[in-house]
Amino acid sequence: MPLTGLPAKDYLNREDDLSYLRRLADMRQDSLAANVLLLGTRGIGKTELLKQVFREVFWEGREVVPFYYSFKTAALKSSTFARDYFTRFLKQYAAYVKKEPLLVDDAGMSLTRLMPVLSSAGLDWMLDIVDAFQEHAVSGDLYGQILAAISAPAAAAKRGGRRILVMLDDFTASEDLHEARRGDAPGLASLFEESMKNSLCPHIITGSPTARLEGIFSDPSLRKDTERMQLLPLPEDTSFSFFDSLLRKMHITCDMREAIGLIRTVRGNPLYLKNMAKAAWKTKKKELREKDLAECYCHEILDGEISFYWSSVLSERIRTKNLLRTLLRLLMRQMTKEGADDEARLSQVLGIRDAELGQAMEILDGNGLGRHDDPVFEDFVRALYMREIEGRSAGEIRERIGERFGTQRDSSRFEMVIPMTDQAELVAARAVEQIGKNINLEPDLLNYIQLALVETCINAIEHSGSYEKKIYLNFLSTPEQIEITIESPGRSFSLDSLRESPVEEKLASGRKRGWGFTLIRKIMDDVRVERVNDRTRVTLVKKIRNKEALK
Amino acid sequence: MTTSPFQVTSRLVKDVAIVYPRGYLNNLSGEYLVNECGRHAQAGLKKIVVNFHETDLINSIGISFLLNVMEDLQTAGGTLCFTEMKKVHLDTFEMLGLTKYFLFFPDEEAALTALDARKR
Repeated sequence: MPLTGLPAKDYLNREDDLSYLRRLADMRQDSLAANVLLLGTRGIGKTELLKQVFREVFWEGREVVPFYYSFKTAALKSSTFARDYFTRFLKQYAAYVKKEPLLVDDAGMSLTRLMPVLSSAGLDWMLDIVDAFQEHAVSGDLYGQILAAISAPAAAAKRGGRRILVMLDDFTASEDLHEARRGDAPGLASLFEESMKNSLCPHIITGSPTARLEGIFSDPSLRKDTERMQLLPLPEDTSFSFFDSLLRKMHITCDMREAIGLIRTVRGNPLYLKNMAKAAWKTKKKELREKDLAECYCHEILDGEISFYWSSVLSERIRTKNLLRTLLRLLMRQMTKEGADDEARLSQVLGIRDAELGQAMEILDGNGLGRHDDPVFEDFVRALYMREIEGRSAGEIRERIGERFGTQRDSSRFEMVIPMTDQAELVAARAVEQIGKNINLEPDLLNYIQLALVETCINAIEHSGSYEKKIYLNFLSTPEQIEITIESPGRSFSLDSLRESPVEEKLASGRKRGWGFTLIRKIMDDVRVERVNDRTRVTLVKKIRNKEALK
Repeated sequence: MTTSPFQVTSRLVKDVAIVYPRGYLNNLSGEYLVNECGRHAQAGLKKIVVNFHETDLINSIGISFLLNVMEDLQTAGGTLCFTEMKKVHLDTFEMLGLTKYFLFFPDEEAALTALDARKR
């Protein structure tokens, strides 16, 4: 349903991304751009951006045909997929030429009924492409069929003189393409290689979770000629403008001050904002207060569309109640425990058998749920945990989630970029000093946090080896903790690779170096190192105990 | 934390050199500190007191330079003392398990008295 996006006037803060993708076909032809791998967390608006691109390209008449395909709703048996992909492409091409938007989503139109439509649009040459596809189908050549479908945009671009902008959504589901049953034909996604090479039909590909999508594109055949585009969360003011625009359509008003708790909780995620606006409409109130939003939020977390969304994500891979329980216990442990456990320790602490635990951890990693920065997802997990593990009543869960709502109101987020130059780390240290002062943090504790930050920045400066000499910092402070992420491009490393050598050994060495991460780990409550796109991200978390905040 | 440009100065009290590193002790300034201490050692002084009163921040590379100063002085049969360290700096040495390798004193006077006592 690529023509069902938000009205352009309500589509906020993505102008640059939209403008770049709209011109992708021109730029690709001039070798100024590659295929685009569109990355971003769940709900951040990747699909919506594709819809906006589709609509603009569809109407602007630059002889570029937009083609959108979602693997989420696709039948993943390969023969069915091939026919579906092929038919949808033809329909969208004909819709573009005839400027008949209804044709784009005409699910009832079969390949046979499509033939006269193509002919009436002056696309007789397309009948050859259809014949070639049908030949493979009749002869039972499955791979031929899939290839014919996937290469249809390239063939049409060559024959028809119009470039094709191919947009593949939920591409991670393409891993499930199969012949008879799931897993019997791995690697079918790599068949897109040929089509992606064609400069007349640039591809924009997206999906979730990011790590899985990146995994597919670690295949050199797909990675070549592909650039990454990261879709970021909406800033707070834009988040509110977006939420407000949705409410106004339903004749509901809400002051920014009343909504600030919600805005900070959803962390710039448009999907959550949309769901909250729909939930607000169901309350039938004309003016929303914070307590109304808290009620809507509890509803969304327990029974609403947010709950439905996350339940669907979990149920993609979880088939049994037992596995769900294991997963919930694992997630709760990750959310509440300071520092990381190894698998053996987790098995002991949670009382879960190794095999079961391994399966749950695989699901967490495979779905990108293991490491996240999403209070809404955490609340969903909390609510489910209370229901499934603790057996609490809906009323009780609602009350507890309600108590948590708005705790993000008192959070502050700051971002900064520093150059990799001498003493730039001091600028970051000064920033964290002021952030700490803003929340009345005890000066001694601040000194330690500054030191840990300085050490992390120095590590990035010394070891990144990147031409992009920048460090990206993100500070999030709440009354409970300070979290700092430090991202640097270039070489990666893991905490495991940093061997803790004994003091005597370091003293005996010539340079006597290697104290930085020892210090960081001693100071901070949690230190994580992960690879995010082309950057190494170090996350430092310091919990604030009562005595550490000045009264 | 206000960090001034790094400077290192020193003065002599009898046979003891008292060194004052000011500002941020890191990889760049660490060299200056090592050179300043080395200058005194070359002049035959075997007792050095480093007064950290005006040192704003010591990073882990700064610490590695202090370890080098200590090693050089010990090789020459000398003694290195630290005074007026801020709590965060002391704690840093503690966290890294390095306190047993240095002599710490609250102020210059206590360091000088201790060095004088060692002589006797």
